[in-house]
Amino acid sequence: MVAAAQHPNIELMTYSEVTDVKGFIGNFKVTVKQKPKYVDWELCTGCGTCMEKCPTKKIPDEFDFGMGQRTAIHLVYPQAVPGKPYIDAAHCTKLTSGKCGICEKVCPTDSIRFNDIPVFKELEVGAIVMATGYDQFDWKSAYGEYGYGKYPDVISGLEFERLLSAGGPTGGQIKRPSDGREPKNVAFIKCVGSRDDTKGKSYCSRACCMYTAKHAYQVKTKIEDSEAYVFYMDVRTAGKSYEEFYQRALNAGAKYIRGRVSKIYPRGDKLILKSEETLLGMPIEVEADLVVLASAMVPAAGAVELAKMVGFSVDKDGWFQEAHPKLQPVETFAAGVYLAGTCQGPKDIPDTVAQASGAAVKVLGLLSKTELATEPMVSEVDVTKCSGCGLCVPICPYSAISLQEYRERGGHGHGPFTRQVAEINSSLCQGCGACLPACRTLALNLKGFTNDQLAAEVDALCL
Amino acid sequence: MSIETNAAGWEPKIIVFACNWCSYAAADLAGLNHLEYGADVRIIRTPCSGRMDPMLILRAFNRGVDGVLLSG
Amino acid sequence: MKKRVGVFVCECGTNIAATVDTVQVAEFAKTLPGVVYSTNYKYMCSDPGQDLIRKAIEEQKLEQVVVASCSPRMHEHTFRKAAAAGGLNPYMMEMVNIREQDSWVHHDKDQATTKAKSLVRMAVAKALRNKPLQVSTVPITKKALVIGGGIAGMQAALDIAEGGHQVIIVEREASIGGKMTQLDKTFPTMDCAA
Repeated sequence: MVAAAQHPNIELMTYSEVTDVKGFIGNFKVTVKQKPKYVDWELCTGCGTCMEKCPTKKIPDEFDFGMGQRTAIHLVYPQAVPGKPYIDAAHCTKLTSGKCGICEKVCPTDSIRFNDIPVFKELEVGAIVMATGYDQFDWKSAYGEYGYGKYPDVISGLEFERLLSAGGPTGGQIKRPSDGREPKNVAFIKCVGSRDDTKGKSYCSRACCMYTAKHAYQVKTKIEDSEAYVFYMDVRTAGKSYEEFYQRALNAGAKYIRGRVSKIYPRGDKLILKSEETLLGMPIEVEADLVVLASAMVPAAGAVELAKMVGFSVDKDGWFQEAHPKLQPVETFAAGVYLAGTCQGPKDIPDTVAQASGAAVKVLGLLSKTELATEPMVSEVDVTKCSGCGLCVPICPYSAISLQEYRERGGHGHGPFTRQVAEINSSLCQGCGACLPACRTLALNLKGFTNDQLAAEVDALCL
Repeated sequence: MSIETNAAGWEPKIIVFACNWCSYAAADLAGLNHLEYGADVRIIRTPCSGRMDPMLILRAFNRGVDGVLLSG
Repeated sequence: MKKRVGVFVCECGTNIAATVDTVQVAEFAKTLPGVVYSTNYKYMCSDPGQDLIRKAIEEQKLEQVVVASCSPRMHEHTFRKAAAAGGLNPYMMEMVNIREQDSWVHHDKDQATTKAKSLVRMAVAKALRNKPLQVSTVPITKKALVIGGGIAGMQAALDIAEGGHQVIIVEREASIGGKMTQLDKTFPTMDCAA
């Protein structure tokens, strides 16, 4: 992380979003909105005085899924990169009611800017790597049998990570969110939202088998006299050293139960999980202090809209569509746009890193050229036939057609005059030919798939 | 007018206009998996279904094709 | 249309030849308007196969080439290069798919052969109307944008940066790191995530 921030060739634009993408491979024009941080990061030294003095201290910390608290002016987390705070406008009393402003008074470098506004920047780049990642499946709205989120001690795997983390709300001690007690029996349910056509997604989220094995192992090694129950459909450990890792969890004493949990309900301060042990063919009931759900990965919020903006497709679940699942796994159908990590589909860290390096190689290959050859099978206009009606202009999905002034020499008693004709930007044109049927004067043609050629093909097949 | 599908020796002529990026690739995939279908089907590759001019479909029918599948 | 077309029918080992009578198809091709040369060969995409195309272009003074073989999605580039090696504009090569869309999906040899002939006729008709196309060039902005600053974004950015090019990471949150920063230890090595 720090390596990325310090590299002389890398520029970070954090708290920023891409709002527009124009252009084409080798020549993209990207508009980025820098959201107001209300802190001038050029001046800010990251000393942290403002965060110490901020009186709005009890905001549930999103980073810890509300299990911890933060101030209104804050870092995403203490080791944030860049290590400079920003003001959460929704909770800052100065920005919401005009009172306070303490941070401004205590800041030794005068870097607080309550009048900060969004800044739009235009970037020119030759290649784009999509690395927008994933979000957790919203199990709370789908799984009534697990309590729709009304039991505080039923949490997701990522929340459990925060409880394990030394930098988390509990300092790395596993404690129940409800009463802060250390749990003895921890139950894990895999495939919550994954491999579930009825309530969730049909796909496997790929990382959960392994992180659940890790969680179970950590429970067994961190908590004395604990039990870790793992409810599973299958255990999928396809990866280098993965099966060995799973065995390590088993050897540590994790109890794997093959069955889907059909209901969770409270009994006293415990949670009861009703399931089936399908290997024994009998119903089973497990008493747990804490339940951890391996919730599915879903595309990050806004990913589908972003794909549309950049100009490539997503699959049925909203994952970014690769150009070919085997042969072009990091390319998209938009030339010059590459995929890295979970935005393309669920995957774990080793696969993410590998794919990211793959995407980087594609980018380097592209940027190592000085010029780019363009596919010649694009549309062309016969200006002598074009009436300049412009019907083709809005049809082009790549905005490759525009109306331009065309100068006629005149004759037959007329002097030179100008008229409008369609013009194709051959760099933007992807050769789809959607403009052809719109052309009433047959002025448009698609090189390599001309009207003449397709007609000849039809005729030949009809013989 | 009736179509005698059972008449001996009658073979329909079917032309498919398939988008290079999806349906044509899907037809390739069908081939890869050896999924058998009628041999009377002839596929014409198009760069995109958006390329399809209705005139081409009419032309095919005009020349005696029994069915046209436009896929993309 | 007095163009000289050559037709090259690939057997793809037995992938095509087991279901399509390639000799018959090549013979049939000779009867098509414009076709002055046709042949079949075991693996047209192999070096000797491509060489065969190149030599035929030179010796028969071919102006158009039709290759009946696998899907153009597979080997269009290969055969365009072969045509170019023979001195033709690469876009004067037309491919026709008699494997994925014929030999692999039918088992009746007569029907599959008939279909192959019909497809070759289609390709020849199209090839006769092929025009040389020129590849144009555009300049490249030697800078990359990475959208998202998680594991994938950081790794991609670092690799591109190490390769000597400028990279901009756009991250929606105020810190890079993504989900990774929320993780404790990670499998299978149990080292820390950040």
